[in-house]
Amino acid sequence: MAEAVLQVENLSASYRKNTVLFDVNFVVQAGSLVGIVGPNGAGKSTLLKTILNLHPSLTGSVKFFGLPFNKVQKRIGYVPQRGSVDWDFPTNALDVVTMGLYGQIGWLKRPSRLHKQKAFEALEKLGMADYADRQISQLSGGQQQRVFLARALVQNADLYFMDEPLAGVDAATERAIMTLLKELKALGKTVMVVHHDLQTVEDYFDHVLLLNRTVIQYGKTKQIFTRENISRTYGGDLRWLREESLHVHNPIK
Amino acid sequence: MKNVMKKMGCLFLISALLVLSACSSGQEASKRSKDGKINVVTTIAQIGEPLSEIGGDRLNVKSLMGPSVDPHLYKATQSDMETLEEADIIFYNGLHLEANMVEIFEKISESKPVLAVGETIPEESLLKDEKGVVDPHIWFDLDLWQQALDAAVEQLKEFSPEDADYFEENKKKYFARLADLKKEAEKLADIPESQRVLVTAHDAFGYFGRMHGIKVVGLQGLSTDSEIGITDIQDTIDIIKKYKVPAVFIESSINEKSIKAVIEGAKSEGINVTLGGELYSDAMGEEGTEEGTYIGMYRHNINTIYEALSEGGK
Amino acid sequence: MFTILLNSNTQWVLFSTMIFGIAAGTMGCLAYWKRQSLMSDALAHAALPGVVIAFLLLGEKNLFVMIIGASISALIGASFIQWIRSSTRISADTAMGMVLSIFFGLGIMLLTVVNRTSGGNQSGLDSFIFGQAASMVRSDVTTMLILALAVILIVFIAFKEWKIYLFDPEFAKGLGLSLKWMNGLYTTILVTTIVIGIQAVGVILIAALLIIPSVSARYWTQSFQRMIIISALFGGAAGALGTFISALGRGWPTGPFIVIVASALFFLSLFFGKEKGILVKYLQLKMQKRLVNIHTSKALRTKGVE
Repeated sequence: MAEAVLQVENLSASYRKNTVLFDVNFVVQAGSLVGIVGPNGAGKSTLLKTILNLHPSLTGSVKFFGLPFNKVQKRIGYVPQRGSVDWDFPTNALDVVTMGLYGQIGWLKRPSRLHKQKAFEALEKLGMADYADRQISQLSGGQQQRVFLARALVQNADLYFMDEPLAGVDAATERAIMTLLKELKALGKTVMVVHHDLQTVEDYFDHVLLLNRTVIQYGKTKQIFTRENISRTYGGDLRWLREESLHVHNPIK
Repeated sequence: MKNVMKKMGCLFLISALLVLSACSSGQEASKRSKDGKINVVTTIAQIGEPLSEIGGDRLNVKSLMGPSVDPHLYKATQSDMETLEEADIIFYNGLHLEANMVEIFEKISESKPVLAVGETIPEESLLKDEKGVVDPHIWFDLDLWQQALDAAVEQLKEFSPEDADYFEENKKKYFARLADLKKEAEKLADIPESQRVLVTAHDAFGYFGRMHGIKVVGLQGLSTDSEIGITDIQDTIDIIKKYKVPAVFIESSINEKSIKAVIEGAKSEGINVTLGGELYSDAMGEEGTEEGTYIGMYRHNINTIYEALSEGGK
Repeated sequence: MFTILLNSNTQWVLFSTMIFGIAAGTMGCLAYWKRQSLMSDALAHAALPGVVIAFLLLGEKNLFVMIIGASISALIGASFIQWIRSSTRISADTAMGMVLSIFFGLGIMLLTVVNRTSGGNQSGLDSFIFGQAASMVRSDVTTMLILALAVILIVFIAFKEWKIYLFDPEFAKGLGLSLKWMNGLYTTILVTTIVIGIQAVGVILIAALLIIPSVSARYWTQSFQRMIIISALFGGAAGALGTFISALGRGWPTGPFIVIVASALFFLSLFFGKEKGILVKYLQLKMQKRLVNIHTSKALRTKGVE
């Protein structure tokens, strides 16, 4: 029997005066590979950030492994959107991956050779061994994404949240990332991925969360990912269309 | 945090009130012109205070620059402009002492009598530095200052001929007191000659030194608006070393920090030099005190210098 | 020419401006990657009313109290900027511009008021605007040294934490690093650095030493650690060299010379810097062109043979 790794109850959040999320409820079982799917401005990134306490919630509670966030922080890994950081920062790929180990290294301590070795192995796993010493500003978009994935990997978390890891990456990177995600699942880890490409959802994820400001449907991909549910999420219904055009916050992507 | 903010708020209020009160006092001055007295406005109190002695109850003298105010940097405020507006006659030192106010005086001189008392002194009696800049601190030469005050009184006589005799009589009395002061100053000659070196923050005491045979060293130039350089401090320390000066002085209107730096610097080179005390240079003391008068502050300077410099010789 | 260095006054000033330069160079790197270079300028200007108010409350000039006044005032400025940014639609640079001008205006206003009150040897306050390095004494040097060392130490001990905080704050939070604490610490050491330098270079020029060395250092390295070290070296060199040059002439001001030396180092870096310096870029472009030319002419030649 799979344990519930994530329990979200009645969660809501807002940006300024607009409510972006309301009444979000779902429970994720261990070992799931969940795709979070929804139109632009549906609150996908906000959902991740609110769950992870990076964005304040208005109401509701989130429990990880039955515990509050700060008790299990070390078991949770987060891969932010690639565009959220400044890639001009003077550092190399290996160094960024090592950042994933900072929690294990301990605050104020310097990373040892062993840590560097671990980070290198993670890069290797993503096919980035040759780029370990490369400046991060000189990496391609796909390579930067792999560095981020490697950084999450070394965290050795049990529950991962990834914000659009497959957006704007080349085919090779997409394959590498998906292989990694399936491996993580095989290890009994849980991964939640914000995803934008409806065509690949069925191939990639065993669970899907259809989101448009609230949970439209959540469950096994085979059962949930139906034409009807998709059109409900993406505004096959006129009511949603109108609402959406009024509340578009993030027209890019 | 909130508490701090509250306190800050209080301070802002207080400062706002200060500004307001400054404005209202300016307006008060304007009302006084109705009492039949001549409204005289001066910049520095070195002109204003003697004139109020000489003018007695016929004059209403107001000095813009109070105690501890530095005339070199002084900028006129709106309330000053009102005071100047209400004045019947204006005296200032000139010779670029009130560097920031020259333009204002030029403008006002078109509509009312304005006299730069320092500029009535013949040029050959003025001191100049190596670049030819005139030293404006002429009130430290009792004779020159007497001439300057004389010129001011003449101007007053011209303005109000009916008071001329009264002014003349008071002027003679005042000048007699200046003569006494000059005699008193002769004791400065008792200081051993090698120790007759006066080290101060800025070059204000040139005339004082010329009159009483004292070598004068100022850290800053004739005006206080230039920054003191590192070499200035070092040069002064070298002079202290050379002449074995026992004491240096601070001025009431100048930041004492740089003089203290000289003292510490000299100390680290093994020379013991003490702080001789505070001298009045560009500004006088608080109104109502002895040092708040021209004669009183001059006497204070004489005594302070005499005590500090002759003492150290022992 | 070098005998001036033997004087104890010169040594004090030289030492304290150098220490300040090192601290400012170090801190400037953090500000550079926090994309808050203007912040240091705003906070420096925001320190002025604190200095004057400290004087008003105390009635005398006491450097230590004034430093505390400056810190409180700058911190209030910082919290204003924070507050404006988080609760209004006004953007960060506008908020900083507002705080800069409002606080500086307030400082000048208070200064004018103080200038007219009697009994204050107030002219010392003016020197906080442009700085008055020459009149520094040993006790000032000690104060500056302690504060500067504290800043440098905080940056180097928590070097790894600063790096992740600046590069990816959200990820850092996910690892359990408190952003609130880091923000607080960042503001505190930024204000400390500003306060150290206020006496030497004044509130107007101080930002130059926080901004210029780090920008210059960017042209020399692709490592964050080396960037901080180079920036600290540039800052220290600017402080020491600027002071030395100003000691050569009579009445030459120290603060502006420090800024001029820092700017000279910047232009050197801009032209000769090995990372994206103008000269290096030009040479690389030329080499690329030559390579392309060789290839195409080779291609043409082979064609001609055929």
